[in-house]
Amino acid sequence: MEPAPSEIEIRTEELTPRTLPGPWQIAAAQTRGTDHEATGQDCQDVYRVERISPDLLIVAVADGAGSAKLAQVGAGLAANQATAHLSARLAEAEDLLDEITLRSLLHDAVVEAISALDAEASARQVHINELATTLILIIARREDVAVAQVGDGATVIADQAGNLLSLTVPPVTEYINETTFLTAPEALTGIQLVFWRGRATRLAAFSDGLQLLCLQWPERLPYEPFFAPLFEFVGTSSDESQAGHDLAKFLSSEKIKSQTHDDLTLVLASITNCAHED
Amino acid sequence: MSTLEDSVEFANNSQPRCACVLILDTSGSMAVDDKITKLNAGLQSLREDLLADDRARRQVELAIVEFNTSVRVVHDFVTVENFQPPTLMASGTTDLVGGVNQALDLLRRRKKQYDDNDVPCYRPWAFLITDGEVSEAEAQTVAGRIREDEGKKRVAFFVVGVQGANEKSLHRIVSEPRMLSGLKFNELFLWLSASLKSVIISTPGEMVALPGAGVWEAV
Repeated sequence: MEPAPSEIEIRTEELTPRTLPGPWQIAAAQTRGTDHEATGQDCQDVYRVERISPDLLIVAVADGAGSAKLAQVGAGLAANQATAHLSARLAEAEDLLDEITLRSLLHDAVVEAISALDAEASARQVHINELATTLILIIARREDVAVAQVGDGATVIADQAGNLLSLTVPPVTEYINETTFLTAPEALTGIQLVFWRGRATRLAAFSDGLQLLCLQWPERLPYEPFFAPLFEFVGTSSDESQAGHDLAKFLSSEKIKSQTHDDLTLVLASITNCAHED
Repeated sequence: MSTLEDSVEFANNSQPRCACVLILDTSGSMAVDDKITKLNAGLQSLREDLLADDRARRQVELAIVEFNTSVRVVHDFVTVENFQPPTLMASGTTDLVGGVNQALDLLRRRKKQYDDNDVPCYRPWAFLITDGEVSEAEAQTVAGRIREDEGKKRVAFFVVGVQGANEKSLHRIVSEPRMLSGLKFNELFLWLSASLKSVIISTPGEMVALPGAGVWEAV
């Protein structure tokens, strides 16, 4: 029996206090899937959004494995650890970061996240698979976007001309309910590490629950009628908490819930081009 | 102002499919105690229960292979809405090896069709129900085939023994055969329906284990 829409828990996270106001507009939300509701499980998705400077945005999205007992712990730990690592490094020398440095920063942040999961598993005396999670990690600046991803989910951007591009995509697996987690031995060999040079005006990062709805398979290209209204929405929203609430309402709408029973996370960001044009 | 719910549209991707082949023993012994009648009724329950679920109706695909003296594909893969289980009759001997081979071939073919048409899918299921037994040589052959296909992740293979089955012989085929309690075919098929439904809402990493011992299972 599916719960009535009113029973669907809506979460919008408060952005961290050190978040700076800036040209990046954010709308982010997550909802707990109806199947996790039914089994009393927590939402196993976690996201983090941090602005290191007005122009520099970090986004992390982690999706804990359904089968892992400590999925939520794993997802939280991975997202926090990776974000903390990036913030510390990026705060030091933002302007000096070139493509190679950004790539290695992201790679290191993923390695940090894996080490944290390892340590946590040892401390709790459980197998690391109990903390299995995916991770998407984004550094978005005015002139470039860099992304690291292990496992499912995707990152989509709109360029200045309004063209949509998938920067990272869900890896092709033989069966739809399979993916590679951070905790897998092959996590780092399967990592997607992407650097895109250009001005992204909009950005979306999401966990796997949305990927059949918003990407065209098997090419995994962004489906324009899905993203256009959402990108318009984040571009015109001014109140972040209201935007998060509206987005959560959308994620828990009947329209979505009739299509997917999974936990859902969607982080949208928008930056205007006019401000710092040089 | 229109809401996001009104304005956002979804990509028109193929529904993911979950194929399940039923490999059914219709040898003469299945007529004893009306087992075959109960089996037929169970198939109807399976259909009705899956049909009542909006997702399962579109995503689960069923096929039936029966084996007695010979092997027959009774029903090739169709989605639940097009699944019309026939009334099976019991007679003859037990060509279990032929039945399993035929079913696994059928699955392989279906999987290729999914791949060729970019249809996303879950790992297929094969569900063998028998009241018979196999010789040691036959068991070895069939166990080898199952191991091979399972090893390549082509299938998740389940065996249910029915009253009269030689449990020891089923153990030679798979490590964990289940035994049906009495004639609880109906309960068995409702449980299968629930299990298939749990597969199609599973997300990455969710190794869908069979839900714990069903009410149909003899312990």
